[in-house]
Amino acid sequence: MNRLIVLCIIAVTTSLALAETCQKPEVSASAYVTEDATVLTNIAFTTQFTLKCSNGAKGVSLYAEVEGKTLPAVRLSADNKYQVSWTEDIKKARSGDYNVNLYDEEGYSALRKAIRNGEDPSSVKPLAVVVLNNPGAYLGPWINSELLAAFLAAFVTYTAFSAKWKLLS
Amino acid sequence: MSGKSKAFTKEEELLLQDFSRNVSTKSSALFYGNAFIVSAIPIWLFWRIHLIDLYSSLISFVLVTIASTYLVALAYKNTKFVLKHKIAVKREDAVTREMNRKLAEDKKMSKKEKDERILWKKNEVADYEATTFSIFYNNAIFLALVILLSFYILRTFSPAANYTISIGTASGLLALLSTGTPLS
Repeated sequence: MNRLIVLCIIAVTTSLALAETCQKPEVSASAYVTEDATVLTNIAFTTQFTLKCSNGAKGVSLYAEVEGKTLPAVRLSADNKYQVSWTEDIKKARSGDYNVNLYDEEGYSALRKAIRNGEDPSSVKPLAVVVLNNPGAYLGPWINSELLAAFLAAFVTYTAFSAKWKLLS
Repeated sequence: MSGKSKAFTKEEELLLQDFSRNVSTKSSALFYGNAFIVSAIPIWLFWRIHLIDLYSSLISFVLVTIASTYLVALAYKNTKFVLKHKIAVKREDAVTREMNRKLAEDKKMSKKEKDERILWKKNEVADYEATTFSIFYNNAIFLALVILLSFYILRTFSPAANYTISIGTASGLLALLSTGTPLS
């Protein structure tokens, strides 16, 4: 039994050591953010990117960190296509650029260690950064139609009341 | 003697008409027609905006519209009754002046007949103004109440209940308010 465990540990460590690290990473990304908040409960962010390494490394496990949240990047295909997606509350989702910091296995453990020790997470240099722009969700018109209708009706009623008051006074 | 009594009867009739709550057939038709239109308009609101199924709630639409038509027409009548005297008093001077100017050329007309004509004109002007103003006034309140009730106060209710309660309350309140004593 002990032998088996030792064998397993050896297998894991060797596989980790064999996993290639990505040299001079380059990412090309596309992104989508849901915008019509009139029919949504949460804003969804999703970005898809291709990782290019100068040493041709493939199958690298990637992790992402956005606004203090860590998420795994899902590998979509063998040719280094990844996807990172998350949702956020409509009220909390700000508009503007979101930096999606990508880390490999090594960087990710360093990042977690930094967070655990209360250090600044930005001290850990990410493998690559994907910038995702949220143009801002549409929350409906400033004045909704029933409010406008209520205001107009109130105004007309006011004129009716004042005209009656004038007639009766 | 006969002419005098005849004139008196006419004047009396006018006075009676002036003080009665009854309205002429023409006025009544105008009131019921208007009340029906105003009561039926919210059906569109509930059908297209609140998304009531038109056919399944046809009975409630018809019943509520009939009841509301009756109540709104009642409110029109009461408001008109209250306003008519006030308007008659307000417009008296202007009508008298205008009629006197108009009848000044006619030298043959007796003083009595002139007064009669002025009274008749006064009644007509007051009746017309009271009728139109009553329709405007009650329509404004009714629609404002419907919007307020259906969109804000009863917004959590089911559309069918919302329809019945909001139209019923609005028309009922309108009829109730119109029966109140006028501000003097």
